[in-house]
Amino acid sequence: MLQDSGFTDVVIGEAVDTFSGAKGEDKARAFDVYGYAFMASRPPASPAGHGRR
Amino acid sequence: MAHDLLVDPDALREQVRDKYREVAVDPGGSFHFHTGRGLASRLGYEVGAVDALPDRAVESFAGVGNPFSLRRLAPGEKVVDVGSGAGFDSFIAAGQVGPSGGVAGIDMTAEMLAKSRQTAAALGLGHVQFREGLAEALPVEDAWADVVISNGVINLCADKQAVFAEILRVLRPGGRLQFADIANGRPVPAEALRDIDLWTG
Repeated sequence: MLQDSGFTDVVIGEAVDTFSGAKGEDKARAFDVYGYAFMASRPPASPAGHGRR
Repeated sequence: MAHDLLVDPDALREQVRDKYREVAVDPGGSFHFHTGRGLASRLGYEVGAVDALPDRAVESFAGVGNPFSLRRLAPGEKVVDVGSGAGFDSFIAAGQVGPSGGVAGIDMTAEMLAKSRQTAAALGLGHVQFREGLAEALPVEDAWADVVISNGVINLCADKQAVFAEILRVLRPGGRLQFADIANGRPVPAEALRDIDLWTG
């Protein structure tokens, strides 16, 4: 979805067991839910005049 | 472009507001997620940066990951925190960008905004401000931000395409989105995806 939205250079970090020991752990385990860090970039602007005729 | 949403955005927003109002006013309450300093430690935040913050800046923290784990923010950067809650990630960001940078935290829950603003004032952080707004309509000018951060918020938005489009709008060209969120490794049944109660707990 990030790339579909126009972001580039998508990086995904390691899974973190966010819900371990919390009340929501059972539901999280049922669907393999973990926390992740994501990083992505807005593409740089085209150089001035790029694409103009 | 119009697209189908799994749940009604306004109804989901109300449920999220109710839930996080509780987290703001009663951070020691019983929630389906962890909160506070224990959570920050679990998610790998820098110990010194967290220890330097007063309890009121940390106790209502309810993130799901660490948006700073893949890249530390640089001094002078301008940051938007989408769904800033009681301000924990905004205050961590403020420490990393320093007084030459700036942080704008955006949240829709009045109790969270009040708490974050009081904490910023108590800490004397002139380069941090908190604004009322929605992730789908950020009160930030075009291309203002070097970095957009968020933590456990986008999964609670019905229209994620609208959120990402808005984040793209406020980022400068070449700017970065650094966020943490949950993802499931097994498919969730279609009927569950349309059950609004399951979105918030």
